[in-house]
Amino acid sequence: MILRNRIRDLRLQKTLTQQALAERVGVTRQTVIAVEHSKFAPSVRLALELARALEVSVHDAFWLEDEIGGTVQCPE
Amino acid sequence: MPGMTAYYVSRTLISAGFGGLLAATGATWWMAALTAGTVFLLFLWAPQSGRYAVHPELGVTALRRDERAQGITDKAARNAFVVVNGVVLALVLYYGRHEPAGVPVSALDLLLALGALTYFGADLWLRHASGAKD
Repeated sequence: MILRNRIRDLRLQKTLTQQALAERVGVTRQTVIAVEHSKFAPSVRLALELARALEVSVHDAFWLEDEIGGTVQCPE
Repeated sequence: MPGMTAYYVSRTLISAGFGGLLAATGATWWMAALTAGTVFLLFLWAPQSGRYAVHPELGVTALRRDERAQGITDKAARNAFVVVNGVVLALVLYYGRHEPAGVPVSALDLLLALGALTYFGADLWLRHASGAKD
């Protein structure tokens, strides 16, 4: 399972720079870059803070993908 | 960087104190000044380095590692610990078998250098491997 996200798209929709988003959630710009590239899986807390800063739910920002590219549905 | 006065003032005092300590313990004045200047430059660079999240509202402790940086530091420290202890074990076994008089002190200096090298090497590699290239 791979944790995917659309932080980059959401950030660009809100015309935020990586630095501005990083400052809003209290991390470095490098961490935002690593999250956007799915090279770093954020903690639940950071995922929630990123979603809040981008004014979406965490489900809209993050999802799990299996290794053949299928999206894993989250139970409601 | 705005709002960081407390940080810069405290780091100036720390750098000057460090230089003063060196001078008081026998270093030449220019060596003490050079070291203090280098330490101060490192403090100036730290907020711009991208290694720390900057929180000006925290005053003298304005720089904090975020969770990714903390994870990298922990892994680098673990790597250095394992490497140093592995080499200690190898030295003890080697000298125990071939020279029971003991491990030479110079080997311990090299061990410290190896530990530092492993720590900083692992830190750099892990930062590179976990993404932040743009």
